[in-house]
Amino acid sequence: MIRMLLRVLGDEYAWAMRRTVILMTVTAVVEGLSYALLVPVLRALLGSTPADAVPWLVAFGAAVALYAVLRYISDLSGMRVGTTMLRGMYHRLGEHLARLPLGWYNAGRIGEVSVLAGRGLLQAMGVAAHLLAPFISALVTPLTIVAVMTAFNWRMGLAALLAAPVVAAIQARTARATAAADAERHERDQEAGGRVIEFLRDQPLLRAAGRTGERFQLLDDSLLDVQRASRRTVLATLPSAVGLTLTVQAIFTALLVLGAHLALGGNIGAAEILAILVLAARCADPLLSLSDIGGKLRGARSELARLEAVLRTEPLREPREPIQPAHHGLEFDAVTFRHGQRTVFDEMSLTVPEGQRLAVVGPSGAGKSTLLQLLARFYDVDAGAVRVGGVDVRAISTEGLMARIAIVFQDVYLFDGTIEENVRLGRPDADVAEVRAAATAARLDEVIERLPAGWETNVGEGGTLLSGGERQRVSIARALLKNAPIVMLDEVTSALDPMNEAAVHEGIEHLMAGRTVVMVAHRMRTVQRADRIAFLDGGRIVEEGSHADLLDHGGRYADFWNLSMAPAARE
Amino acid sequence: MTSTTDLAQTIEQPDADSAAGPSMTRLLRPHLRSFVAVALLQVIGALAGLAPLLAVVELGRTLLSPGPIDHTHVWTVVTAGAAGLLVRLLFTAASAGIGHLLDSRVQLTFRRQLAASLGHVPLGWFSRRRTGELAKVVNEDVSAVHPFIAHAPGELVAAFVVPLVSLIYLFTVDWRLTLITLIPVVLAIALVPLLMLPARTREQEAYDAAMGRIASSVVEFVQGISVVKAFGGGERAHRAFLTAADDFVSIFSRWVRGMSAVAAGMQLALSPPFVLLVVLIGGSALIASGGLAPADLLPFLLLGLGLTAPVAALGHGFDDLQSAGRAVGRIKDVLAVPPLPEPAHPRPPQGHRVELRDVRFAYDADHEVLRGIDLVLEPGTVTAVVGPSGSGKSTLVQLLPRFFDPTHGSVLLGGVDLREIGSRELYRRVSFVLQDVRLLHASVADNIALAMPQAGRDDVVRAARLAGIHDRVLRLPRGYDTVLGEETKLSGGEAQRISIARALLADAPILVLDEATSFADPQTEQAIRRALATLSGDRTIVVIAHRLETVADADTVVVLEDGAIVERGRPTDLLERGGRLAAFWRSRQSAEIETHGGVLRGDEPR
Repeated sequence: MIRMLLRVLGDEYAWAMRRTVILMTVTAVVEGLSYALLVPVLRALLGSTPADAVPWLVAFGAAVALYAVLRYISDLSGMRVGTTMLRGMYHRLGEHLARLPLGWYNAGRIGEVSVLAGRGLLQAMGVAAHLLAPFISALVTPLTIVAVMTAFNWRMGLAALLAAPVVAAIQARTARATAAADAERHERDQEAGGRVIEFLRDQPLLRAAGRTGERFQLLDDSLLDVQRASRRTVLATLPSAVGLTLTVQAIFTALLVLGAHLALGGNIGAAEILAILVLAARCADPLLSLSDIGGKLRGARSELARLEAVLRTEPLREPREPIQPAHHGLEFDAVTFRHGQRTVFDEMSLTVPEGQRLAVVGPSGAGKSTLLQLLARFYDVDAGAVRVGGVDVRAISTEGLMARIAIVFQDVYLFDGTIEENVRLGRPDADVAEVRAAATAARLDEVIERLPAGWETNVGEGGTLLSGGERQRVSIARALLKNAPIVMLDEVTSALDPMNEAAVHEGIEHLMAGRTVVMVAHRMRTVQRADRIAFLDGGRIVEEGSHADLLDHGGRYADFWNLSMAPAARE
Repeated sequence: MTSTTDLAQTIEQPDADSAAGPSMTRLLRPHLRSFVAVALLQVIGALAGLAPLLAVVELGRTLLSPGPIDHTHVWTVVTAGAAGLLVRLLFTAASAGIGHLLDSRVQLTFRRQLAASLGHVPLGWFSRRRTGELAKVVNEDVSAVHPFIAHAPGELVAAFVVPLVSLIYLFTVDWRLTLITLIPVVLAIALVPLLMLPARTREQEAYDAAMGRIASSVVEFVQGISVVKAFGGGERAHRAFLTAADDFVSIFSRWVRGMSAVAAGMQLALSPPFVLLVVLIGGSALIASGGLAPADLLPFLLLGLGLTAPVAALGHGFDDLQSAGRAVGRIKDVLAVPPLPEPAHPRPPQGHRVELRDVRFAYDADHEVLRGIDLVLEPGTVTAVVGPSGSGKSTLVQLLPRFFDPTHGSVLLGGVDLREIGSRELYRRVSFVLQDVRLLHASVADNIALAMPQAGRDDVVRAARLAGIHDRVLRLPRGYDTVLGEETKLSGGEAQRISIARALLADAPILVLDEATSFADPQTEQAIRRALATLSGDRTIVVIAHRLETVADADTVVVLEDGAIVERGRPTDLLERGGRLAAFWRSRQSAEIETHGGVLRGDEPR
């Protein structure tokens, strides 16, 4: 468990962690040993010379004081280690998430990651802060007490020691029996988490479909699954908890019987046997609390395992000696790329000389957006190479690559914050004049003038407080501010408002001027502005050339063009 | 009965079925008997657990008593102790089992109630809240109630009843030593107020708020991951997440630091070595003075530790219970949001003529989005709504499916105010292609049949064909049974065609298309035109138009600016008149000329 914690955390915390564990163990041993002093105290008090108890009582008092100091120090140390690790863990997780390939992020990930970052991490780190001390004390103190008992009466001690292997066996069995139920329960929790987010986010859709009146089946099913899984977890844990209690109680009963037998046989003094039974009672409580603590530890352990799984997911590899691209031309060299089982590109080759504009056209699902994503190295190719400035993107540092590329996405995503913050994301160190200039060029200034809070307007989660057109302008301004030599446009014109379309085209024109451009466009009119057009279908470039060439050629592109230019047919 | 005053009354009355703030007690009442059973079993079990301790005490009395030892008595005592243990085992196990099963049932009830409630609150309410925080209420906050349900009734009750019984017993043995034994408890209780200082409570609240911010920033982080990547320098792009995390950690450590000294003091006071020390000091003093029989010290050593249980339970489970209490508070808040009122006496609409009468609408009190809209949508016509972004187009059409109620004026469907139409009836009549196409994490067929769950596969396929997506669906790994988002991801245009198929299948007499032409590829544009052509007839269609073709095809065009209608009429008339629409037309054409010009100018550096 601790080894796992340290593996997840890395070595920097190992020393503090080990020190804490040692402190806690020492505390537990001191507690157990202090009970040894109970025997002479009781022997004196229950015997004929109660006054003899005083020196032993003073010694016991000193032991308790030592215990108190040790416990305070070890608790504090546990807390400190816990919080330090928590901070470290958040940073590690955040940085790792940012480096994972986009392909890792599917629909279920939002739920998974948010549970992990919320309850999950806290629970995992809670091991050090809250669970470790009681766990160590619940194990070590009874063991020390048993050692003390053995010292006073080997038969009673041996009988008590019988519990140790059984308790260990039960703990092991519990871990195994509940692992499956816990895993299933976690999976259901996560599914339900995803469903809840879907249910909340898709309220407009579900309402329009009239699906919120009765129970929404998809959500309700997953909630029911959660209930069933949690019932199974209860049923799986119950036998072990009962087994542990049964063992501890059976041993206590055995000690009671053995003690009575020994006392009746006159083998041992009454005071002694009673003192040992008091010690035995002191063993029982911590052992019984083991099942509770064990359950919590297992919960934390599975959170840790999930955390480890995420942290072990291979991020895109950074080159050891990054190479600077010499120019801004782009090249796909026999690229094969699979997404899941689907082959998106099959030995696809394509070049864009520096400063040229390439438009990518093709049916939906042909992989046009994926093509852009490969250039930006959101994924790595399965075979072949994607090159920027003659250098394989895998040999360029992520920072270096990203600094060269400005992307305007199909789905504009804005971070919850002000418009200014979202624009500044393009280049955080830009001065005010540069930000204003980018906004003007993207015609974002008009939007800002209209908004009561201007630049300080909050865009809401995902930018939902702005209209589609407004969001798009923010993202164009952001890209303009970035001033990168390579520009990728993924259906920029799609959400534009026709009333102002000319204005926004102006912004895009600014963005494209003098740069290498790859644009994906569905609107055929937009495509014409490109130097060259590539028609993508079936994982390959099937046609390539200028607009006029391709129309003359009379192939797929020409069909597409004619289809889109056809007048609206209304019967 | 349908006068306007009646209307006011009907909308005041919330639907009996909806979640008009059902109290926790009402949600928990059906489970009352189980709660009582859990508590009773636990109390019996815990009391039986005293038996072995009492057996040791009795054993001590017998062994320490002068004179010959009564062997039968010793064995009776031992048997009674063992029997007590067995009873304790059975009853506490039963109690814990029932308690946890009950917990899973109650959590289901809560989550269902929350979903029902959230499914009825006005949509406007959502736009002010973050999905992550709301999801946290449904998921984590309900889970956090666990100690309330599974542990509080049994363990907490037992933690008070058992010490009480022990206390009474100990008093009968020796009242002075009983009072001495209570010293650690009193010390611990004296420290409790320090845990509840206003500063501590504030820290607790800050802690919860910080946790909520983490949840939201993570949702945002993951959703915006492509932006994070595109703008590189991970550190700064996901700083919201890291800031939230750092905030949380520092609040957490401040909280821990504030608590640690007090908590350590409490834990020391309640720790077994300390309690035993106090009992032994008091006991030896009493024994030495001859005021206490030595055998009478035993019950205090054995039962005395149990007296700390209630304080320990409070201290130990206190955090959990407190956070459970706060979680319940947040659940209550969500349940208390008044739902969009349902009519008490729904009236069926006559026909499907839609009429907006002096409609005004504001999301915030100080900013009106719609300022007095009068508009009639006749059956059998297509009305195109045109206007710059922010002019209120989306808000206007969202009033039709009653996502919001107008702040002034009314929307009538078939002569009946929407607020008087039952929601089921309303949704049967209005179908909607939304601006942001959203697909559910479900099969293609289920996505298409969203509004018509009972539709057969043939109908689904027919709708898919009409929407031009059938062939694409057949190419998916499992055709119509392919689960979207899991087995495959569709492009924007494909998703849009699914949503068109959805609207086609719903076959409602009123169709609202909001910015449906964005993301459109040629096939999708064709699908939309074909859908509009297929659907027209006696349907009432309103389209937020982005394309001139759509505008030209419409029967009526409405130009919206700054929340008011500035122009309306037949497209050809409006173009001839040379007003706003004509200006729009020209700007659009010049945009295209500029586009061509850009290429023709050939001014790019080569």
